[in-house]
Amino acid sequence: MSRRRLSLAVVCAVLVVLCTVPALGAQKVTITFGNFSAGSDNEATLAAMKAAFEKANPDIEVKLHSTGYGEYFRLLQTQIAGGTAPDCYELNYENFVAFAAKNALVDLGPLAKTTGVSFSGYDANALDAFKYNGKQFGVPGSYSVVLLFYNKDLFDQAKIPYPNDDWTWNDVIEAGKKIRALGDDIFGIYQPVQFWEFYKTIAQNGGSLFNGDQTKFTVNSPENIEALQYMVDKVIKHNIQPTEAQKSGQGDWDIFAAGKVGMIVTGNWAFTFMKDAAKCRWDVAVEPGNTQKGCHFFSNGYVINESSKKQEAALRWITWLSSSQESSMLRVEAGWETPPVSDESVINAYVAQRPPENRKAVFDSLKYLVTPPVIEQFNEMAAIVDLQLEKAREGEKTPQQALDDAQRELEQKIKL
Amino acid sequence: MYIGKGRQRQTTIMAFLAPTVLGFLVFSFIPILRSLYLSFTSWDILQPAEWVGLENYRILLGSEEFWRVMRNTAEYIVLYVPLMLIMSLGLASLLNREFRGVGAYKVLFFLPVLTSWVAGSLIWRWILNHKYGLVNILLGYIGIEGPPWLDHRLWAMPGIVLASVWKDVGFFALIFLGALKGINLEYYEAAEIDGASRWAKFRYITLPLVSPTTFFVTITSIINSFQVFAQVQIMTNGGPAGATQVIMERIYKYAFQFFKMGYASALSWVLFAIILVITLVQWHLQKRWVFYDG
Amino acid sequence: MMVKRTCLLRTVLFYITISLVAFFMILPFLWMISTSLKESEAVMVLPIKWIPEKISFKAYKDLFTISTMVPFHRAAFNSLVVSILTTFLNLASASMAAFALAKFDFEARDRVLFAFLATMMVPGAVTMIPNYLVLRTLRLTNTFIGLVLPSIYNAWALFLLRQNILAVPDSYFEAAIIDGATPFAIYRHIVLPLVKPILASLGVLTFMGTWNDYLWPLIMISDPDKMTLTLALGNLNSRWGQRWELLMAGNLISMVPIIIVYAFAQKYFETGISVGGLKC
Repeated sequence: MSRRRLSLAVVCAVLVVLCTVPALGAQKVTITFGNFSAGSDNEATLAAMKAAFEKANPDIEVKLHSTGYGEYFRLLQTQIAGGTAPDCYELNYENFVAFAAKNALVDLGPLAKTTGVSFSGYDANALDAFKYNGKQFGVPGSYSVVLLFYNKDLFDQAKIPYPNDDWTWNDVIEAGKKIRALGDDIFGIYQPVQFWEFYKTIAQNGGSLFNGDQTKFTVNSPENIEALQYMVDKVIKHNIQPTEAQKSGQGDWDIFAAGKVGMIVTGNWAFTFMKDAAKCRWDVAVEPGNTQKGCHFFSNGYVINESSKKQEAALRWITWLSSSQESSMLRVEAGWETPPVSDESVINAYVAQRPPENRKAVFDSLKYLVTPPVIEQFNEMAAIVDLQLEKAREGEKTPQQALDDAQRELEQKIKL
Repeated sequence: MYIGKGRQRQTTIMAFLAPTVLGFLVFSFIPILRSLYLSFTSWDILQPAEWVGLENYRILLGSEEFWRVMRNTAEYIVLYVPLMLIMSLGLASLLNREFRGVGAYKVLFFLPVLTSWVAGSLIWRWILNHKYGLVNILLGYIGIEGPPWLDHRLWAMPGIVLASVWKDVGFFALIFLGALKGINLEYYEAAEIDGASRWAKFRYITLPLVSPTTFFVTITSIINSFQVFAQVQIMTNGGPAGATQVIMERIYKYAFQFFKMGYASALSWVLFAIILVITLVQWHLQKRWVFYDG
Repeated sequence: MMVKRTCLLRTVLFYITISLVAFFMILPFLWMISTSLKESEAVMVLPIKWIPEKISFKAYKDLFTISTMVPFHRAAFNSLVVSILTTFLNLASASMAAFALAKFDFEARDRVLFAFLATMMVPGAVTMIPNYLVLRTLRLTNTFIGLVLPSIYNAWALFLLRQNILAVPDSYFEAAIIDGATPFAIYRHIVLPLVKPILASLGVLTFMGTWNDYLWPLIMISDPDKMTLTLALGNLNSRWGQRWELLMAGNLISMVPIIIVYAFAQKYFETGISVGGLKC
């Protein structure tokens, strides 16, 4: 045996020992993982993923910090301000930019090299979305689109054809009226009147929150006012959409599942819930637009806390969670959003799942995607616009007044 | 009292005062000054504070939001204070006698006071549910169709007031009970000899004699009304359409959700100013309105 | 005979009235208990059933098994620790200062008292933000110590205690002073026992106030393992807000300890309120 070979053997032996030591040693790393998108419906799926990961990586224990969406960002912000954020956590795209800009996140590129983790399993576009200033500050976890869910039974009863890709706002209103006529407590559609729906609906009408180079707000443009008019008319003028009082605190998913509303506009993350809960036949279609089509594209990514002391373990967990075959298949089977992977077999498995019948609408929607408007004071902007939208929905202000007031307040309080 | 001498005595005094004085400086005196300073700056924790002069106050007082918040608070006070006064005085009158089981009844009236506002808010969010809530079901028994309470901009504040009265009435009843027990029984005996009716006794003896307490309770509950937080945060989160936004809720949102510490501090100083004015008015009015038992 | 009958009638009427009022006061609790004992599907059913058709303890079981950020028993333990620490710190610090301000004459006394009195008018909202910032600088956010520490200064408790200590005649101490007792011994063995009732009242009030507090822990605590019960309930609400039976079960459990405390300390609680007025 030559000397060189011997030394190679020694090096290998040392490497093997080094690699097995952490597994053998009692030193188990515990990492915390903050998340919101599992909600209550995909709780079990996330737990199964965690169990599978821990089985494959006996040296790491994952602690799940699961919060509801509403509470999540409030808590996360306090945690970051107080320096106690989880080791790794989920962020939606709109907050990702703000957090990356504030240097709260770890650059995953160098970390991946030292940890020996590869990003090759991801869909390239999805991966790019979580770059900021050319650095990979997060990995995509899942993405989702918003679709038009419809109740086939109610459409049949009203004797109208099912929605298709050519539908526009008018078709929605006409179909909504016919379904509303079916009964006192049956409604045509539910599409929440809030910030997220608003920036998408105005895009369907060629409008936008800002001017082209994002230096000025254009919230009260004529296109936007027309779009809000459409959203509000469904509630007040036609009442094909229940008012908040008529809805009386029930969730929109619940009333759809109970067969009380013909259409709802919600994300493909509702598939899991509807599969079990819907008491009617239902399907989905690409959302109707007005002058053009526009579909929400939401992406949730996973990031690592800049001050975490367990970054390597955290990276192994989040990349496994979002790009391993095993975890992706668990996600697909549960219908919990869409995995951001390039693996054809996973994508095919997703499309083949039922219900709904028209799963490919998820991919069709990607042609018209509208991404969230990202600015640093995102939460405050959303709160200001939301309030005025509610005023319009309640009939307290006309869409024109509401958006004029929103414009004024935004100009006063938000730095672009 | 005279313990120890000279230096030793001084050390003793200082030792006893140390925790409180330290706490006073760190958690009260310096924070008050700091908050005043912050209110003249724009500060979001991440970037350094920038002096903006009166800008925060100018935006604040010129905003639709601030006046909406004031209107909401006024609505709360107008509904809450009279209802609470009547109910708590009534309850105190009921309890102001010797009878079997008075202790047990007191416990029952006190349960809401013991409950945290978080628990109380969750209960009332459920009770005020449009369709399945207790209040509307009870109204239904007597043939009234209940309003959608927290989901409606006109009914949300009354809903919060109902919950607040329920939660606080036992507390204020106890204060009134103390005042009632302090009334000299001879007044009533004299009135009875003169043949006064129950109402007359209540109107001309009880009411004037508890007036210091009534006044105190009124002022205190008005001041408390300006600082309502948990019930709003949990029951409506300020909605619908801002109909239940109140100052503390705004301060919390600006400071800990938008991280606008400067603006939030300005809001807190406006709150302070309001409370100060009420307190001064209280001192002024006290002399004229309240009848003291000589 | 006649007199006796009207008397009886009045008594009956009285009991009916007061029972009716009491009934309405506790109706929300009965409704809460009833809801918490229902199964999920039975909660939203009309017409409502006051007594569930099938009594189920599933909500209570779920409460400890479903995924929330913080397990309920853990949160209860945290609340207990925080409330006890706060109460202790508050009473110790306030009573010491009250003793010094009541029984020692010194030059700056009136000015000190005035400064304390002045801060009582400032609403908590003003100091809340700077307090958070100070504790953040000290790296004490998200710790029990940070949560508890501001209660070291409580002007209201201090004045109440001072008032009570002032009323203690100096003659009580004289013998001890002649015997050479240290000031601390006098404070510990003579003053504190004499003001025990007011300490107890203050203690009970502080304990309950802390147990039920929401805003301060909401700002200070973000680590799930350190969350108090009110935060745990808020979290439960944000995540399982539509499962009323679960929320009501959580509520009920969060109330039990405080009711027990009240049952044991009812007397102190009531004097605390009527003596101290309204600041709790």
